[in-house]
Amino acid sequence: MTILRYVFYILVFPGALFTIAVGLFMAGIDRKVIAHMQKRVGPPLRQPMYDFFKLLGKETIIPAKANRAAFLEAPVLSFVSLCFIMLFIPIFGFTAINGAADMIVILYLVTIPGAALIIGGASSGSPFASIGISREMVTMMAYELPFVLVLLTVAKKVGGDQLVFNLSLVSEYQAANGSLLSHWSMIPAALAMLLVIPAEVGTQPFDVAEAENEICEGPLVEYSGSPLALFKLSINMKMIIMTGLFTSMFLGGIRTGFVALDAVLFVIICIAVMLVSITTIHAVTARLKIEHLFKFYWTVVAGLALVSTILVWIGM
Amino acid sequence: MFKKLIDKSAAKSPWLFHLNTGSCNGCDIEIVACLTPRYDAERFGFKLAGSPRHADILVVSGPITVQSRDRLIRTIEQTPEPKCVVSIGSCPKSGNVFKGSYGIDGPLDKYVHVDVSVAGCTPKPEAIMEGLYKAALILEKKREAMHK
Repeated sequence: MTILRYVFYILVFPGALFTIAVGLFMAGIDRKVIAHMQKRVGPPLRQPMYDFFKLLGKETIIPAKANRAAFLEAPVLSFVSLCFIMLFIPIFGFTAINGAADMIVILYLVTIPGAALIIGGASSGSPFASIGISREMVTMMAYELPFVLVLLTVAKKVGGDQLVFNLSLVSEYQAANGSLLSHWSMIPAALAMLLVIPAEVGTQPFDVAEAENEICEGPLVEYSGSPLALFKLSINMKMIIMTGLFTSMFLGGIRTGFVALDAVLFVIICIAVMLVSITTIHAVTARLKIEHLFKFYWTVVAGLALVSTILVWIGM
Repeated sequence: MFKKLIDKSAAKSPWLFHLNTGSCNGCDIEIVACLTPRYDAERFGFKLAGSPRHADILVVSGPITVQSRDRLIRTIEQTPEPKCVVSIGSCPKSGNVFKGSYGIDGPLDKYVHVDVSVAGCTPKPEAIMEGLYKAALILEKKREAMHK
């Protein structure tokens, strides 16, 4: 029975099917809201689903110069790692796998899609892809520092004397003491996390690695058909995962008692977080240069996170 | 299992790759005008793709200069099936005012079957949108023919 339950967790509820369905839905809302902000009608809400299925039906071309195995395995690696992250993120009261240090597991799992993009781009043998992967590496280095600082701050705030890297305990702490966003010392960390989300997902001002106008979508340039569909799906799945992580770290603490009701509330809050951190920033900005992105993350965003860390460490 | 959905999606999400083969930039501006808020081609799912590998519809403008001929052939070969070729303006179809010039090697249908041809110098954005939409419907038929 335990095995069956875990199979259900991985394949259906917090795992693959839930993440894919909600991710595609959120991407649809994102595109629709951006269209309305620009006074357009915009594509229908199920447009990302059409894009995904259309790409499944396309021919898959493998370039002669590419390393066949790595080229085809990279998107699968990215997709599988993303299927597992949602198991560790508590949907308010409910956590599928309750580990001792799930924040650190999430930190590692979230870097795998970026690493897969680098592997796939490097194995495709295209010069555009090699520019793209170097940019992707710099982007990863840029947002990892503030991301780690935010996790450290949350761990210290919840743990008090020692660091607690368990998201279920973070959720319980918020149920007892109010959500972490209502503690004023955590507000700079929350702002930093809101700015980490678009870089992690790879949307507008921070999509230097996949800039379609200048370097033909960077690491994805040689991909076509189903591997491209998996990469595009990974981007959509990251939306629910990163906003979900934000929700469980800063806006947790709601307990209705029913898992289904919790999940619906969780998705609604995730969509609200997405509208603030991904959609609005996307609609009002143009793409940054890579050196500006790096500078922005290591000064402004890391600075915000550091302010929170210091405040929490001195006991505020 | 998803055969029907995949066929339907082919018409619902056509991604464009815009190829300029020596165009005077007139048609190119009108293609960009289709994507602006006034005409909003994105409501039909049209999107400009960065790479021919991601594209479903190749939008060709210009009278195929000798310099761009080889690039045109390579770009067409790099586009995965099912694909459509749409010619924008009179130039790819007939050569227009450049016909007979030593510098051009057209027309486009010498190299590839043209599915939809939008006439005009330059065609209006409405005409381009109609042509692209027809190409999207042809894409669905081509996708259906792929598993027969």
